[in-house]
Amino acid sequence: MIINIKQEFYKQRHKRIIWFIPVILLILMIMALCTLGYGESKRLLMTCYDAPDWIMFILVIIGSTMFSMEFQNNAILTILYKASKKLDVYLSKYIVVIIYDCFLHVLAIIFTIGLKSITMGTTITWTTIYEYHQPIWLNMLNTMLIDLLTTMLIISLVFLLSCLITSNAIVITTSFLVIFLGQAVSANLLNLGKFVNVLKWNPLNMVSLTRQYYNFAMYYSTTHLENVQIILGTLGYLLIFFILGYMIFRKRKFY
Amino acid sequence: MLIVDKLNVFIGHDKIVNQVSFNIKSGEVVGLIGPNGAGKTTIMKTILGLTKFTGEVKVNNKKVTETNHHALANVGALIEHPAIYPFLTGRQNLELYSQQSSDMDYLIAALEMNNYIDTKASGYSLGMKQKLGIAIAFLNTPQLIILDEPMNGLDIESTIKVRQLIDCYAKNGTAFLISSHILSELQKVMTRAILINDGQIIMNQEVTKFNHLIQQDYKVMTENNSLAEAVLETKKINFARQDNYLLVKPQNLYQIQDELLKQNIHLREMSPVTADFEQIVVNILANQREQHD
Repeated sequence: MIINIKQEFYKQRHKRIIWFIPVILLILMIMALCTLGYGESKRLLMTCYDAPDWIMFILVIIGSTMFSMEFQNNAILTILYKASKKLDVYLSKYIVVIIYDCFLHVLAIIFTIGLKSITMGTTITWTTIYEYHQPIWLNMLNTMLIDLLTTMLIISLVFLLSCLITSNAIVITTSFLVIFLGQAVSANLLNLGKFVNVLKWNPLNMVSLTRQYYNFAMYYSTTHLENVQIILGTLGYLLIFFILGYMIFRKRKFY
Repeated sequence: MLIVDKLNVFIGHDKIVNQVSFNIKSGEVVGLIGPNGAGKTTIMKTILGLTKFTGEVKVNNKKVTETNHHALANVGALIEHPAIYPFLTGRQNLELYSQQSSDMDYLIAALEMNNYIDTKASGYSLGMKQKLGIAIAFLNTPQLIILDEPMNGLDIESTIKVRQLIDCYAKNGTAFLISSHILSELQKVMTRAILINDGQIIMNQEVTKFNHLIQQDYKVMTENNSLAEAVLETKKINFARQDNYLLVKPQNLYQIQDELLKQNIHLREMSPVTADFEQIVVNILANQREQHD
């Protein structure tokens, strides 16, 4: 397992895009600052300049290419026979993406601290009380922690789709549809007014976890779930997607 | 080193491999030969635990299953296409799997990859990729190496280098299972040949014994071939003409000698036609088809 993780790191480390991503993330965060402006300063700090959305976008691409590169280059056969178990291959990829996910979140916090000191100075202090009667620094840390959970759910979904569908483009498109349109589809479903108590537990609703955390009033009316409920739902679907993805990967024939 | 016992592989309802059993000892180079679709690659993949199967595969007395590959820790393989990441250089592709750098340097030198090993693999030709794939299979001095069509895309010099590498590793105890369509090349390295057709082993023999397995023609030259032909025709003995020779079946040799001597026709030359390995395999497969028909 450790060898598999090391190999996975080695491959990712030598991909040029991996080292460009932090720069891309910073540019996107600056763009968020420019478009939303100072009126949304507190929200920008709490969300690390919309970093959760950008990170999600990045992870979908990284996660889907992790499998497609193995299938395209036929390297999957070598990896599989060299690994003790198929689970090692699947899990090592998952672990590496999660570690990269954590790295991006830490980076987003560092960039936020830097951007705040440059653009806002002392006009808003970190100790200013904002959402949930908590200081902004705590809001930001909680948002990032909760977003880790949301991104883990998305990674599980991307891995599941990658094992089901051979086309990388379809995997990326489907994942983006789930992320960016899933919440709207779920809201429409719940607006029908029937079986709300059951339908509110649909997986598309869970994708809104981070957004609901930093904008509870707006999102609660569409998800119909409390923060704790949506966290539990996310954990549940994360586990389901992961197990399903692994089962498909295990059963998949590589010839 | 490798024990394959009563191996069966199904793909859907089709039985691709049927009751295949064979062993390979340390230092043996075994060629897996057969027509397209015979089941060679499937057998190799099964040994590597990549397909579902019934029967038993053991490497170093440890069982290989589809879900447990612990026994394959000391096995190297090149299956179908070389497993290369185009965004890595050749050296990085090797580093990914390498446990000792000296081993890696030796293989780079042995396969003459020095000139391009530090460039991105995306720009490699088919032959360069193939050599890199072979080097990956040879990394970490495996006890068993499985090579599926290793000579694909290689030029003559590279083919010789690969052959030398196989010889060298085999002398140090590495066992080999190699499939190739270039039988003349395979013949130069293998010690034993397993002939497979329709998922079944037809023959499993030392290479030297293969020549005796089929009836070879004999070529005969006499002082007067046209007279000799007339004699053979009268006696209804089958023959064929080839240049200045008459080609005859070995079982008729004594009769031919007798008949020609009776007519006072002296032999100038009588020798077996050297059977080339490809021809032997083609003949065996043809014989098998005839028997089936």
